[in-house]
Amino acid sequence: MTAVARAAPARPPRPSTRNRWLATTAVLALVVWAMATAEIDLERIASLPEGIGLLFYRMFLETGPEWSYLPDAVQGMLQSIQIAWIGTIIGAVISLPLGLLGARNVSGILGSNVMRQILNAIRAVPEVILAVVVFIPMVGIGGAASAYAGTLAIGVHSIGTLGKLTAEVVEGIDPGPVEAARAAGGNTVQEQRWGVIPQVMPDIIAFWLYRFEINIRASAILGVVGAGGIGTSLEQAMTFSRFPRAGVIIIVIIVATILVDTASGWLRRRIIEGGAGRVEEVEITGMSSPLRMDGDAG
Amino acid sequence: MTAEAPPAATRPARPRGSPWGIAALLVFAAITWWAASEEFGIGFDVIQLATNLTRGSQIIGEFFPPNWEYLPRTYGPMLETFKMAVIASALGCGIALFISFLASRVTTPNPPTYLVSRSVLNVIRALPDLLYALIFVAAVGVGPLPGILALFFFNVGVVVKLLSETIDGVDTGPIEAARATGANRTQTVRWAVVPQVLPNYVAYSLYVFELNIRASAVIGIVGAGGIGNNINTERRFFNYDNLSVILIEIFLFVVVIELISIWLRRRLV
Amino acid sequence: MIRLENASVVYPGGVVALKNLSLEIHDGELMVIVGLSGAGKSTLIRAINGLVPLTDGDILIDDVSVREASPRALRELRSRIGMIFQTFNLVKRTTVLNNVLMGRLHSAGTLRSLVGMYRPEDVEIAMQALERVGIVEKAYVRAQNLSGGQQQRVGIARALAQQPKILLADEPVASLDPPTSHVVMRDLQRINRDLGITTIVNLHFLDLAKVYGERIIGLRAGELVYDGTAAQADENVFRDIYARSLTADDLMGEAASAAALPS
Repeated sequence: MTAVARAAPARPPRPSTRNRWLATTAVLALVVWAMATAEIDLERIASLPEGIGLLFYRMFLETGPEWSYLPDAVQGMLQSIQIAWIGTIIGAVISLPLGLLGARNVSGILGSNVMRQILNAIRAVPEVILAVVVFIPMVGIGGAASAYAGTLAIGVHSIGTLGKLTAEVVEGIDPGPVEAARAAGGNTVQEQRWGVIPQVMPDIIAFWLYRFEINIRASAILGVVGAGGIGTSLEQAMTFSRFPRAGVIIIVIIVATILVDTASGWLRRRIIEGGAGRVEEVEITGMSSPLRMDGDAG
Repeated sequence: MTAEAPPAATRPARPRGSPWGIAALLVFAAITWWAASEEFGIGFDVIQLATNLTRGSQIIGEFFPPNWEYLPRTYGPMLETFKMAVIASALGCGIALFISFLASRVTTPNPPTYLVSRSVLNVIRALPDLLYALIFVAAVGVGPLPGILALFFFNVGVVVKLLSETIDGVDTGPIEAARATGANRTQTVRWAVVPQVLPNYVAYSLYVFELNIRASAVIGIVGAGGIGNNINTERRFFNYDNLSVILIEIFLFVVVIELISIWLRRRLV
Repeated sequence: MIRLENASVVYPGGVVALKNLSLEIHDGELMVIVGLSGAGKSTLIRAINGLVPLTDGDILIDDVSVREASPRALRELRSRIGMIFQTFNLVKRTTVLNNVLMGRLHSAGTLRSLVGMYRPEDVEIAMQALERVGIVEKAYVRAQNLSGGQQQRVGIARALAQQPKILLADEPVASLDPPTSHVVMRDLQRINRDLGITTIVNLHFLDLAKVYGERIIGLRAGELVYDGTAAQADENVFRDIYARSLTADDLMGEAASAAALPS
């Protein structure tokens, strides 16, 4: 049997990678430019290890951390946790209806866009600035008041982030149950209560928990600017160069944060079977499935 | 033949609320009460809130109109803020890429490395950016350098956590295929794992950059360079009209960065 | 030549996957392995290139022991053994060519492969492999955009790019429809014949095994229960291997009798 000669298909040409090179070069050029023009003495960079080493030594090694300050540090940390707790609740409660309204399948394209922009504006302002600029002046100085300011700052900022995430989750739901609620004669509120909410609650509660983890850190920070909690103690310790005390405070912060992270992470995993990675991933990419990153068709 | 009616099925007893759910709710309520109460907690009073809001709206009024003449004085600091974010993101995300492989179950060379990496990671993540800034200002003085260092550590913490968990979830098929061709560990990671997680890595890096922009605006408050310094000064003098200029500027900046980041995300992947 | 000497594999949970398997596979043979799921087919294939370590006995490839091989020697061994998988195991996000170039990783060395700068000779080998399986025009297409049959052919090209002496195929057509399965099996047959590569294939469908296998071995519960030619393997033999009557699931049916290459 003779083999029929067939023209072998031609090898395709190499596709141009110009776009990718352009983008990568632009980014690299940006980084190089930033490093070159940043006003930093090379001397200071050289003295880095020394400076950090000395600080570390003074905090933890010279006389050891100031363990006698431990009760106060723990108390400060507890206050920070309380601030984060209430702040997160405020954020969660208010963001739920706002987030619902921010979803295209609830308010239509125009309405949801308006709400989204409002939420974006709230999100854009970091808690610290909110606290420093609005709430502390508003509430006045003084122990109890400052914690108050911190709580409000965290609460308001959380509304923004949680609202956006809630809206995105609601947009991703299965419309079936919602239609069923409507077909059974329910009004809009009932539609939301029975059609939408049961589907999205696990994801949303997971966001709340993740937000709580972040707010613990935020609340520690807010103390530094005077909004209550352990940040204040740390700032004072640093200002007066009481480094062993700062060492104890840092240890307390690290331990408490890790504990809260672990508990919250465990809870989140139990609520969502999908595993821990998903919550953060949705928060950042706004998508719950990595597959949806392939925007291109070909 | 007459059809027999099936015996009446006994209705199941109504299931009581799961003990876990009820316990969780009780714990939640207890913590909330503890956190909000006057005695143990922060003394959250909704009535007081209303009074404060009136004072608050007064203050908000002082933000308008913004004092646009202040704007030119913010250009330098904003630029510094931007550069800090760029440098810290580049360095942080770069290093984080390699550490992530150590901190993931799938690509770690051995169990001890994995445990050590994850423990170190948890400790690094536990401190927020501003606290790192405080520490580094005390260590090396004021200026943008401590700011960059602070953001660097923050970035490594965030990216390694996200990326390592993404790596944990990769399709292991290509990894097996790579091993079967006789490739070594580095080659396997480079060609079977990295292509799978690259889009995520780019997304996380851009995310962290956005966070840095916001954060570097703030860490100036403790002396770590950038526009946070201005915020500190202006607030001490209660110059709300200047502050509102700064706030608007930051907001616009973040929005522009977000748009660019969306554009970049599409090109780079 | 591949020689198994009392090869045994016991998984950590206690499951005995291979029990005292002794076997000789000659150069250039096309051998098909049949058996129930869990009978040890996958384990056997993976033991040959060391992906699954032996707990007892040994496997010698041209008198080189797989069990005693150092990590470096094992990689060298594997570079001469190509493998294709039921789920193709391609890197979906990258191009067909990059997937095939994975076959050149071992020879290219760490540095070159890290940066992705393969030598022109390596790229040429990859292109020729693609031409041999007939999809070179898809070289720069992303792997995930290909059909199942095309993806498996990329898998074969990747294995061919290694210029292997041995080809292992773990249920290569289980995820494909009957016509495509035949295309792939014919490709394997042709490669075996034209290039003289020792080919070992796990197959689920018994009638397909008879059509393409010159030599068929049957595994049951990790033991070798049959070793003979396709002609000798009739229904009774298969029933023996499966320890039960055959069902429709075991046969591809009508489509199995589609033309294979003339023997």
